[in-house]
Amino acid sequence: MKAAALAVLVMLAQAPAAPTPGESPYRAAARLPVRITTFTVEPTTIQPGESVTLVWAAENPTSITIDALGRVAPRGRRTLTPGVTTTYTLSVTGAGNTADKRTVTVVVAGTMPGASAADASATGTKKAVPRTADGKPDLSGVYGYGAGGGGRGAPPPVAAGGLPTTPTLKPGAEKYKVVRAADDTGLYSTCLPPGIPQTFFVPYYIQIVQAPKHLVVAHEYLNLFRIIPTDGRPHPADPDPSWMGNPVARWEGDTLVVDSIGFNDKTEINGYRHTEKLHVVERFSRPDFDTLQYEATIEDPNVFAGPWVIKRSFPFLPEYDQINEFVCENNRDYKPLFGNK
Amino acid sequence: MNAMNTKNKTLAACFVVLSLVSAAGPVFAHHSTAMYDMANPVTVTGTVKRFEWTNPHAFIFIDVKDEKGNVVEWEIELMSLNHLRSYGWVRDTVKSGDQISCTGGRAKSGAASMISAMIKLPDGREIKS
Repeated sequence: MKAAALAVLVMLAQAPAAPTPGESPYRAAARLPVRITTFTVEPTTIQPGESVTLVWAAENPTSITIDALGRVAPRGRRTLTPGVTTTYTLSVTGAGNTADKRTVTVVVAGTMPGASAADASATGTKKAVPRTADGKPDLSGVYGYGAGGGGRGAPPPVAAGGLPTTPTLKPGAEKYKVVRAADDTGLYSTCLPPGIPQTFFVPYYIQIVQAPKHLVVAHEYLNLFRIIPTDGRPHPADPDPSWMGNPVARWEGDTLVVDSIGFNDKTEINGYRHTEKLHVVERFSRPDFDTLQYEATIEDPNVFAGPWVIKRSFPFLPEYDQINEFVCENNRDYKPLFGNK
Repeated sequence: MNAMNTKNKTLAACFVVLSLVSAAGPVFAHHSTAMYDMANPVTVTGTVKRFEWTNPHAFIFIDVKDEKGNVVEWEIELMSLNHLRSYGWVRDTVKSGDQISCTGGRAKSGAASMISAMIKLPDGREIKS
């Protein structure tokens, strides 16, 4: 056993990414260097008008680009039809300023080498926000999880418009503050919908599909979705209480304003329960090509002293075109892992 | 079994609390890691039986030989698919029969179950998990 322990220690000494005593293994894993494992083009010589297939793979990247394509997923393949002899460059960066770069060249018979067609994101030119046929900003796309408030430092105490970014409980409403036991693994370890706006605050992607009269917001988390009418219609007279609420929307300039009522009282918002009187107004906008801005104004006259605001921004992910399947029945029962009697 | 686990439960509890309040910590998918001992990382080496490429979390099941030579099945929990894809994973990054080493936190209960933060693949490549 001593020898085995020694062997483990030797292994740790040789592996710079291994956690030091007491260090979180995630912190140690964040030191793993980036590398390119595959970058090929087939075929390498073509006639004008023919196509080639680029295939690439990288591990532990924090950013990954191909000069002709801009940002790409860590693994992918793409068919291209270069007009002239072209060199493609795959560049990756990772932890601790590690970087890797590889090039492949396609010879197009009878042509001179040209610069590879760098896209807007590679040259630093800002792409314009896309618009739909009716002139509205097109919010469609896959977005990563949010920044701004929560884990990365406290939000500013007052949002634009003068509303607070933290709630004040109404006198007598203290019971709505959530207190968790030490072995409670949290709101997200059940398979129940977190409701609105909380479903936006999990580390899973979201996908928006914008149609002329509806906005579909699909969350990878639990594969929850809302089909939101955007034609300005009113709420139904008395919507049934539900996990995700009853949403109706209208455009205010370039901002889509989604008004939701008809919630059940089973969800939480940033550590507070609420009643069926919950009213949430969400504002979706795309201030630039790379960003979905999200703001939720929360009211519940039974719980909060007044309305308050949560703001997040979600990065547009051009390298992904579909969120993943999510089957919560695959969830494990984590309680036994605590070993509590 | 290549497991290193000092038994300082008090320290472990402190570090779990610290990791929960640390703004610099990783973003955890789906649930907290409070049921795993993240302050005393272990490395477990074994042979892959199967790889479940699923949300909310991916899982690898490996056969690990303990000190007496008995084979114990370990359940290795990984991040969610969107995290794994961003690290460069695909559904056949590990295959049945592969010898891999997983580094992470073991279940506080002592069960053969852990959450893995990084995995060493058969050719020695290490990848976040």
